[in-house]
Amino acid sequence: MSRYIVRRLLQTIPLLFIISLIIFILMQNMGDPIATMGGRRATRPEDRERLTRQLGLDRPIYTQYLYWLIGNDWAKFDADGDGVPESPGTRQGVLRGDFGTSMINRGKPVWEVIWERVPNTLLLMVAAEIVIILFSVLIGVYSALHQYSLADNVITAVTFIGYSMPIFFIALLSIYIFSINFKRWGLPYLPAVGMFDPQVGKTPGQVAKHMILPVFSIAFISLAAYSRYIRSTMLEVMNEDYIRTARAKGLKGRSVIIVHALKNASLPIVTVVGLDFAFLLSGAVVTERIFAWPGMGRLFLDHVSRSDVPVVMGILMLLAVTVIVFQIITDVFYAWLDPRIRYD
Amino acid sequence: MNRKKYLPWMILLLITALALAACGSTAPAEPVDDSASDTSDAAPVAEEAEAPAESTEYEDRKVATFIWTQEFDTLSPLYTGMWFVTITFDLWNAPAWAFNDDDLPEPRLVTEMPSLENGGISDDGRTITLNLRDDIKWSDGTPITANDFAFTFEMIMDPANIVQSTYPYDNIASVTAVDDQTVVMTFDEPFAPWMTLWRYVLPEHVLRPVFDAEGTLDAAAWNLAPTVGAGPFVFSEWESGSYARFVRNENYYGERPAIDEIFIRFVPDDASQTAALVTGDGDLGTFIPYSDIPTLEDAGVKVMSVPSGYNEGWYFYFGENGHPALQDLNVRKAIALAFDRAALSEDLLLGLTQPAATMWDNMPYNDPTLEPWPYDPEEAKRLLDEAGWVDSNDDGTRDKDGVELILSHGTTIREIRQDAQAVAQQQLAEVGIGLDIQSYDADIFFGGMSDGGPVASGELDISEWSDGPSVYPDPDHYYWYCSEIPTDDYPDGGNWQRLCDETLDSLFTLQTTQTDFAERQATFHEITRYMFDNVIWLGLWQDPDLWAVSNRLQNVEISGASPFYNVAEWDIQN
Repeated sequence: MSRYIVRRLLQTIPLLFIISLIIFILMQNMGDPIATMGGRRATRPEDRERLTRQLGLDRPIYTQYLYWLIGNDWAKFDADGDGVPESPGTRQGVLRGDFGTSMINRGKPVWEVIWERVPNTLLLMVAAEIVIILFSVLIGVYSALHQYSLADNVITAVTFIGYSMPIFFIALLSIYIFSINFKRWGLPYLPAVGMFDPQVGKTPGQVAKHMILPVFSIAFISLAAYSRYIRSTMLEVMNEDYIRTARAKGLKGRSVIIVHALKNASLPIVTVVGLDFAFLLSGAVVTERIFAWPGMGRLFLDHVSRSDVPVVMGILMLLAVTVIVFQIITDVFYAWLDPRIRYD
Repeated sequence: MNRKKYLPWMILLLITALALAACGSTAPAEPVDDSASDTSDAAPVAEEAEAPAESTEYEDRKVATFIWTQEFDTLSPLYTGMWFVTITFDLWNAPAWAFNDDDLPEPRLVTEMPSLENGGISDDGRTITLNLRDDIKWSDGTPITANDFAFTFEMIMDPANIVQSTYPYDNIASVTAVDDQTVVMTFDEPFAPWMTLWRYVLPEHVLRPVFDAEGTLDAAAWNLAPTVGAGPFVFSEWESGSYARFVRNENYYGERPAIDEIFIRFVPDDASQTAALVTGDGDLGTFIPYSDIPTLEDAGVKVMSVPSGYNEGWYFYFGENGHPALQDLNVRKAIALAFDRAALSEDLLLGLTQPAATMWDNMPYNDPTLEPWPYDPEEAKRLLDEAGWVDSNDDGTRDKDGVELILSHGTTIREIRQDAQAVAQQQLAEVGIGLDIQSYDADIFFGGMSDGGPVASGELDISEWSDGPSVYPDPDHYYWYCSEIPTDDYPDGGNWQRLCDETLDSLFTLQTTQTDFAERQATFHEITRYMFDNVIWLGLWQDPDLWAVSNRLQNVEISGASPFYNVAEWDIQN
């Protein structure tokens, strides 16, 4: 197993290099970072020329990539535009742990920009994932045990309505109902945006209250897939011989379902959940935008829209590493759960 | 471990995460006036503060919540051109003068506005003297002096700082601090737009040590956490993606603000902004979609329309490789007459604005006799016939010498612009003009020629966007000069429409040197008349800033140039 893990980790090195190269080249065609620096007006020509030179955007793509990778503290730059390079570079490059500074949040290190958002994203996404897993297990098991009953059909219909709806619709609809209309009807209403009420302060209660609608929106559209998956694996397991044997031995129904059936039915789910965890870090772009949740999804969108190459590269590389690591963890965990699987 | 054991751990994890997320902010904090923190290497975006144990006292505070649809990029005036940031300078920084809701200057740091009469402006217009008040001070108690002005100029012009723009300071020859209260500016040529200067001043006592130590201000902590300011409010904290707080500046030299705190919440989605304003989660919002105005008004939210110099319009491409039809004045007139912009304003913009005649609508520099082109499709057809553009091949589109009258039209992906594009396409088709419409993300649309920006590269016959003067309320414009036409040697030129008109060129050059208001106004009347008659730019609608103000906020006056010029007088009902 350890040889397998080492081999997988070594494979990630060329993989990450190729990913970074492709993303960097794609980023160059996404837009002009100088274009939006003028605010509501186009950037003035004199400023455009100067900023392009000072930010090193006049260099060929391969040079820019090289600087991103290994830094530019060995090169000199023409800061004042007199044609003579005189200012030394300051970047150390990704290979030396320096992802550079944001072009938008000028002077702010990329990792600082990213890490400020990670806790918020994890809070939202882990809470949503817990809700999704808990409810999908409950719904999936219930549906499997009451196959084709009225409740099963109703649950199936509702979860599929959620599944078929775009998340922006669910999110805006939930704001319209639980925020705007509840307030209009004089009922206790939920906050529409943000993480807390400034009049009260950022307390755990406030944060929890502000999480309700975004977590509900994310969970609602994901419940169908998970619950149907659990339902089908449960149905499959419930027809196995060892379940019949357990029942014949006189075990209680709950014990048969939880200890024998659900445990075995949840094996394939580990793969799905494991891959999901990798994407938790990427946040929920639409949900975070609508509910003004300060997470990674919004960060990505904000910086892509202004072609902030260093920050976008940082986010995408972080996600690439996370996906690869969680894939390895999932494989290892799966082998640990199911002794029949051998990687060596 | 069985599932029963999992659940409590997961719940515990969630509670811990909630507690952690709630840590680090955000109880009411007193203004931070420890300048030492600004010179440190770290960049403390958010000040640490204890969470409120008892919220009663906090709830008695007067907190006004603003909703911003774009988050700050930085707060340093040196490094940003973002409108959502620059308008906050009146909250926390120190403009030498602000503009009231009639766009007239009101002295702030200066004792009076410099003029020829009071000797503040020299007879040749090349020297301007600012006399500063003797009671002005930064939020940490340090006096604001002429040295701060000279330092600000030095930092803007020093190439070691990668500043967002050097305009309009690149027109100044020197800034000298004669004494603590006297700033003297000299110019090589008279500079009419001098009032666009000094919208902010940098605290030298905070930033000079950083510059001396690091050789640049690019990474100064003050950029992201300007804890020393000079406005009625002072920066308190900024949590990335979430909010920024400004609390009352107890050292403010002017009237004591009635509000304790301005809380700016970043809500990127338009619909969510509207929801927040309706539910009372926000007291002030801007850039609200026209379509949401009825909803806001039904909820008791007041909508204020404030002209800020912007007008939405069409820029025609006059380059040699452009469509030949656009070189013909009759065709441009026909386009103006064939597009019912009054109906557009009425239907798409709910009648809250009106067609623009020129780029200077709602400014005293616009020739007051000008009226927008009327909707007259029959006259448009006659002009096109007269110009020789007829539908000779019966395909529904006019043509001449084998060239079809189909024009490419591009704009950004803003919804209202795409709607306007569709309407224009339909109406121009009725007089035989085809419109090939396209839309782009803003960073692509406004990209430079070397980046393949469609407007800068001359790929579009007609481009649409909203623009105003270089720095409102000054009327100056930079991109109508022949010298600004982009070339291989000068790819960054701003004259994307490739218009080289000597009359216009000389008029624009003349106005920049006219420090006398009446003379400059007369020149601009000539400019606006000339551009209107020759349909050099076609106005679609006046594009005022829309502000949504809750009924809790009182005494709110908003200016187009300095939206928060009287924010110290604002009050809020809890």
